[in-house]
Amino acid sequence: MMALHRLFNNLAISKLNTSKILSNFVPRCTYGLNNVGSDDPDIEIIEKKIVEEKTSLAMRAYLQRATQYNNFMEQQTHEYNVGKRHLANMMGVDPETFTQTDIDVAIDYLFPSGLYDPKARPLMKPPSEVFPPKKDAEFDESGRPFHVFFYTGKPNFYLILHNIATKLSELNKFEDSLRKNNILPDPDKKLTSLGSQWLSKEDLEKLTVEKLSDHEYKNFVVAIERLLKHPCSYKSGEFISDYQKPMISTKAIIESAPVEYTKDGRAFVTVKDCPRKDARADVTVYYPGTGKLSINGKGIEFFDDIQAREQILFPLLFTDLVDKVDIHATVRGGGVSGKAGAIRFGISWSLRSFVDPETVERMRIAGLLQKDYRRRERKKPGQARARRKFTWKKR
Amino acid sequence: MKDSISKTKLFYVTQFFSSEVNSTEIRVGKIFGKNLTHNLKTRICPSFLSTFPKPQLDVPQDVPSVSDESKYKLSNPDAFDVKSMVRIKNLFEAGVHFGHTEGTLDDRMKQYLYGNRLGHLIIDLNHTKRLLQQALNVTAHISYRGGVILFLCQSPLNCLTVENCAKECGEFAHTRYWRDGMFTNSSRIFKSETRLPDLCIVLNTLSSTSKNNSGQHSVLSDAAKMLIPTIAIVDTDANPNIVTYPVPGNDDTPSAINLYCDLFKNVILKAKKVRKEILDKN
Repeated sequence: MMALHRLFNNLAISKLNTSKILSNFVPRCTYGLNNVGSDDPDIEIIEKKIVEEKTSLAMRAYLQRATQYNNFMEQQTHEYNVGKRHLANMMGVDPETFTQTDIDVAIDYLFPSGLYDPKARPLMKPPSEVFPPKKDAEFDESGRPFHVFFYTGKPNFYLILHNIATKLSELNKFEDSLRKNNILPDPDKKLTSLGSQWLSKEDLEKLTVEKLSDHEYKNFVVAIERLLKHPCSYKSGEFISDYQKPMISTKAIIESAPVEYTKDGRAFVTVKDCPRKDARADVTVYYPGTGKLSINGKGIEFFDDIQAREQILFPLLFTDLVDKVDIHATVRGGGVSGKAGAIRFGISWSLRSFVDPETVERMRIAGLLQKDYRRRERKKPGQARARRKFTWKKR
Repeated sequence: MKDSISKTKLFYVTQFFSSEVNSTEIRVGKIFGKNLTHNLKTRICPSFLSTFPKPQLDVPQDVPSVSDESKYKLSNPDAFDVKSMVRIKNLFEAGVHFGHTEGTLDDRMKQYLYGNRLGHLIIDLNHTKRLLQQALNVTAHISYRGGVILFLCQSPLNCLTVENCAKECGEFAHTRYWRDGMFTNSSRIFKSETRLPDLCIVLNTLSSTSKNNSGQHSVLSDAAKMLIPTIAIVDTDANPNIVTYPVPGNDDTPSAINLYCDLFKNVILKAKKVRKEILDKN
C-alpha cells in the first residue's frame, strides 16, 4: 500500500516535470498510461469512455502518403500519354494505334545513343514500370500492426525461423512418443540433402520481400539443417522442401531422353550434336544389342589412338553394358580426342534411359554426364603458344 | 506491514513443511513395504521433486458478463481479478524464487531478497507476488484500452514459448537481435510513421548476446527514452531501477517463463474479452 502510494506520487511529479520540459511534445496516445490501477481511493483519476480508435498518427501519415503517391502517378501517366501522342505525330503514325514497341523503336531512332549500358540509354516506359509500387499499409486504422513479429523489422523472415522452431519441437515430441513405445525412428526414411540445395540468400529475400544480412541467412541455414538432420524429419518433409531447390544439373540428368522403338521392337535413343571442342557427334544406342560399334561406317579401328578407344569404351565398361548394346555414331569436325570425347558424351547421355537411377547417380558423380565446355586457348602475341614463352636469355 | 509479511511467510513455510513431512513418511513406508521393486520402478523421480511446469490452477476463464463499464474504472483496485491469479504456491512450484549465485548480486536487488541458501540467493516470493499482481493489473488496463503490447526475451531457450504466448493473445513479440534505434529511430527503420508499443514486457533483462550496457537488454533504455512503460522480470543480477514495473523472479528456467507467459496471456485475453463486450454493447 505504502509503496504504491509512493510510486504514484513519484509518477505525478515526473508527469509534471515532463510536461514542463517537453512543452511542444505531442502525446503519442491520448489514453492514460501514467495512471493505471490504484489501491488508494484518495487519488482521483479522470476516466474516459473506451471507444474504437479510428484514426491514428500512423494511419493518417500512411493515408497522406498514399494520396500523394496516387496524385504523382496520375500526373506521370498523363504526361506519358501526352508524350506518346506527340511522338506518334512526329513519326507520322496514327496516335491511337501507337504501341510500346513503336515507342521503343521511335526513341531508338530519334535519340541514337552510343552508351554501352542499356539502362543508361534514353527510354520512355509507362510510369508503373519506372516507379516501383509502394508497400500496402501493414497496420489497421488504430495503428495496430497485423503481423505478430512486426516490431522485429523483418517479420516474414522471423516467421520462417519461428515455424522451423515449432516444427522441431513437434518432431521432438513425436520422437519421444516413439521411444516411449520402444520404437526407433526409421533410419531408411531419413531425409538427405543429396541432389538439392537450400534457397540462396537472394531467393529468400525475394520470398520474404525483406533485405537480409549474411548473418541472418546463416542463422536460417543452421536452423533448417538442424530440422533436416532430425531422425524424424520425414514427418515435415513437405515443409523442408519449400526451402530447397534441386541442383540444376541434376534436374536435367533425372529427366532422361525419350526412348523410341525400331520395327523389330528394339529400343533406341538418339542424341544429336554432342559437343567436345570443335567436334560434333550424333549417337544412337540400341538396346538390347550384341556389342556392335560403328563410327562413320567403321568399327573401333576408326581411332588409331589407344586413349581415344578407351574414351569410347569407358561409359560402357562403367555401366557393364559392353556386349548388351549396339552403337551407331556419326562424327564430324575437330580432331581425334575431340571426336572421341563427343562420342563418349553421346553414349553416356543416351545410356541414362537403359540403366537404373542409382547408376545414373554414379555416372553423374563419375563426371560422365557433365558436358565438357573447355575450348582451345588462343595463342598470344609475344609468346610461342597459349602459355609457352620464347626462349630468352638476359645476357 | 512488516509483521503481516513475516506472519504470512511463517504460515507458508510451516504449511509447506508439514505437508512435505507427511507425504515423505507415507512414501518411505511404502518403499519398505512389500512392493519394493515396483515402487522403485515407478517412483524413481517423485512428482514433488519434478521441475516439470505445472498448469496454472484456478485461473477464472469465463468472465462474468457484467458489461458494466464502471466496473473497469482505473479507481477500482482490482478490476480484472488479477489478485486471485497469482499464488505463492504456483510461483514456488515453478521455481520463481531461485536467484543467481551470491557473488553476482546487484545491490539494488537486495530489497527483494529472502536469503541465501548454499551460496545461491533466494528471492522473497511475497515481493514477487505483490509486484506481479501490480504488473498484471497494468497489463490488463492497457490491453483493455486497446494498447499494443510487445513481449521481449533474449534467451534462445525460451524464445519459442514467448513467441507462442504473444501469438495466442494477439499481441507482438521480439525475441531476436535488437537493432539500435528500433524505437528511437522508428520512422527510419520502418520507413514510415509507426505506432510504437504501449507496453513492453521483458522476460529476461540480461543476456550474453547484447554486449552494450553490460549485457542489459537495450529495449529498457530505449523504452525509457520514448516514455513507454516497461514490465520486466528482474533476476538477482539485474538492475530493477530502469524498469517501470519490476518483478523480481527467476528469468532463466523454462517453467518460470511458462508461468509468467501463461499469466500475462490469460490477463490480456480477459481484458480483450471485456473490451469487445463493451464495444459491442455501445
